[in-house]
Amino acid sequence: MNKKVEALQAQGISRRQFLTIGAASAGAVGIAALSGPVQSAGATTSSAQRILRVGWTTPPDLLNPFTFTSSASFEIVSLMYDTLLEYDVNLKSSAGLAQSHTVSADGKTFTYKLRSNATWHDGKPVTAADVKFTFDTTAKNNLGQAAWSLGEYLSSRVVDTHTVAITYKKPQAFDPALAVFIVPQHIWGSMSSSQIQSNTNPKPVGSGPYRFKKWATGQYVQVVRNASWWGVAPHAAGIIWNEFANADVMTQSLASGSVDILTEVPAVLWNGLKSKPGVKAAEMESFSFHHIGFNVSKAKTSKGNSLLLDKTVRQALSYSLNRAQLVALALAGHGLPGSVQLPPSFGDWHENIPKNQRFDNNPAKAKKILAKAGYKVGSNGIRVDKHGKPLQFRLIVIQTTDEDVLAGQIFVKAAKAVGISLTLETLDSTTLGNIVYNSAAPDWDIFIWGWDANNPDPDYLLSIDLTSQIGGNNDVFYSNPAYDALYAQQAVAMNRTERINLVHQAQKMFYEDAAYCVMWYQSKLQAYRTDTWQGWKEIRGGAVYNFTRSNYLTVKPK
Amino acid sequence: MNARYFVRKLSTLVVTLFLTVSFNFLLFHVLPGSPVQLLARSGHYDAAAKASLTKLFGLNHGLLTQYFIYLKNMVQGDLGFSYTYRKPVTTVLGAAVGNTVLLVGTATAITVFIGIWLGVKAASRANSLTDTAITVTSLTLWSMPDFFTGMILIFAAGVWTHVLPISGIETPGLTVGWLGHLLDIAKHLILPALTLMLVNAAEFSLITRNAMVDVMVDDYMVTARAKGVAKKVIVWHHALRNALLPIVTATALYVGMVLGGAIQVETVFSWPGMGLLIYNSVEQRDYPVLEGCFLLFAIAVIATNFISDILYQVLDARVRNN
Repeated sequence: MNKKVEALQAQGISRRQFLTIGAASAGAVGIAALSGPVQSAGATTSSAQRILRVGWTTPPDLLNPFTFTSSASFEIVSLMYDTLLEYDVNLKSSAGLAQSHTVSADGKTFTYKLRSNATWHDGKPVTAADVKFTFDTTAKNNLGQAAWSLGEYLSSRVVDTHTVAITYKKPQAFDPALAVFIVPQHIWGSMSSSQIQSNTNPKPVGSGPYRFKKWATGQYVQVVRNASWWGVAPHAAGIIWNEFANADVMTQSLASGSVDILTEVPAVLWNGLKSKPGVKAAEMESFSFHHIGFNVSKAKTSKGNSLLLDKTVRQALSYSLNRAQLVALALAGHGLPGSVQLPPSFGDWHENIPKNQRFDNNPAKAKKILAKAGYKVGSNGIRVDKHGKPLQFRLIVIQTTDEDVLAGQIFVKAAKAVGISLTLETLDSTTLGNIVYNSAAPDWDIFIWGWDANNPDPDYLLSIDLTSQIGGNNDVFYSNPAYDALYAQQAVAMNRTERINLVHQAQKMFYEDAAYCVMWYQSKLQAYRTDTWQGWKEIRGGAVYNFTRSNYLTVKPK
Repeated sequence: MNARYFVRKLSTLVVTLFLTVSFNFLLFHVLPGSPVQLLARSGHYDAAAKASLTKLFGLNHGLLTQYFIYLKNMVQGDLGFSYTYRKPVTTVLGAAVGNTVLLVGTATAITVFIGIWLGVKAASRANSLTDTAITVTSLTLWSMPDFFTGMILIFAAGVWTHVLPISGIETPGLTVGWLGHLLDIAKHLILPALTLMLVNAAEFSLITRNAMVDVMVDDYMVTARAKGVAKKVIVWHHALRNALLPIVTATALYVGMVLGGAIQVETVFSWPGMGLLIYNSVEQRDYPVLEGCFLLFAIAVIATNFISDILYQVLDARVRNN
């Protein structure tokens, strides 16, 4: 039942009376409403009680740290729960629930010293047993957004109340302590795996800087400051994430001052915000890319066009595209031309392919390599292989992603200019997903989609196109033992310089093989008010809605 | 009341409902592929986690078995399990239904009342300036899409003047007493309800006007006037009563239509009702929730039609005695 009606009934008002009052006051209140501007929580209270108001159009799905999938849920969960280590404002690993840690010489055992003053929101102390329980449960049942990082998990050992040693089968270049939200054993310990999965976690109890207050489904989520948090107390007494069904109205609400920051703003609306007083429209690098994927499945059951198995054809298609033009037209300039699968936001992990070695904006080169490989121009301008089979492919795109549809149309023209025919078809995302991921018998040639990193570590994006991910994330059925080997080496490389070198090699190899043609790295467009809170730091990945919670903890009321 | 008439209408209702439920189920389940796949791409699940989700969602059975489980559960009042919120669909629907009933109920009451009043005014001065003004204005408003009218109101109230809230059902985190809370909800209700009223009042004013104009020239109206009955009484008691049948039909159809129209209005105003729930569920492919929503819509439409059928009996002696 509706919570509001329930609350009213508790005060002796029936549903019918409630409706009557609602209908009557709809008219009567018109006058009351005219008496003054709309006030929202936080706008009128003293600075110590100020609430930070975030606007978004992406509703959270769940607040159960084992089951949520949406970025919105990540945002909220990461303020209610702690990880052992966390990303600071520079996206570097820093102390979290663990005040210090050591790594064994073989890189397999990580020992964490927990903060002795850390408590759960219900007052019970956070102990090493909670950490052991969380890692055991996540790894054993393959639960949640961090499970991917525990593939080599072996065991955890409680050394003392505040010390825990976690051991892996192999050295871990990426420390999963950055990804796993620690949960209290006294709440989750008695649940079975399926109980954990279907638990809505209506009153989340974590150890983080904010406690859960209210989730009004379809409206907002509210958290309040946790006075007994172990860290430096944040300035915001509470945070409200306000859900909008409509980006126009959301943007308008920022302009009129009823929210303080927006997590994502569509480019057209973002441009409109640039001239608004008291508003800063911020453009930051993202950890995302959009790519053209080629079906390179070698399976006998694949119904993809086998001509795409020829690397020359894929490279020629990549050469045909002008990525700077794509960014200018499809993204209205809000992004960077794409190359390798790790965006430049990854800093020194990103492999910078020199301009003159890129498969980009060179139709002449495309024609040259196709001719050299024996693809002659046929009577209708379409090239054919030596058996007379034309270079003719199907291209599928998600119809609601405008920039991808536009990119698809540009791609069709560019490919035609070098003698390759593409037929564009738009589909909804579920249908496209199911066609692309039909690993038993993939019946498609080329598609356009994108990936977001779930972490500023290179591991995840590199793992997508592993042979072992066919049937999992691998959306082009790319399989290259040399690439798999490079991935495996970097995953266990404890020396950063050595690992960077391996990560660069892996990107270069994948780029040369051209199973992906990365079109662009789109910008993260956000906007915030400059007259309500101060000290917003623009970080690669976003001021908020990022892997770090730092801005939430440091912004001050103005 | 005629028992046979009632039974016939009731059995039609049951058959219609069964067919709707079955079609509803089939519609979502014949779509190719599994909803788990897409969740897996964004959620980074491996094969074992996918299998356990498939089982949790009950998608590990054959289509026919799923259908029977669906029917069996429905009879027991269980509409399934939301993929997104991991809660029973009935719980997810519960909050949204209340909010939609508040919005649509308020809007419908005002719409029907104002529409009939305008129609009667127009008909009682047929072909006058008042009639033309009412007819032209309501036709203009009727031809505007709900969301467009909504956006105009948002611009007027939220951007120019800031007098009314333009989003949501309440101010998030507001701490006031229950009366303050009620006023807050009422403030939020004004714009979406006004949008629905502005767009839809025309339907009732035009139908009322035309039905009334036909009735007003009938012989018994002339007789009433000749007898010296006051014009007010003739219009509101004699004429309106006889013009009511098409209005009842229109109201029944309207309830179905307005639920659909509310999807747009709720989306524009971020009103957390069924419209917004459907919108988000489509985005997130939450099929059980969509099935639940459409089932409720179907029940609402079928039930209002049933009620209007029964009302005919009460209102019209010809139906009653046939």
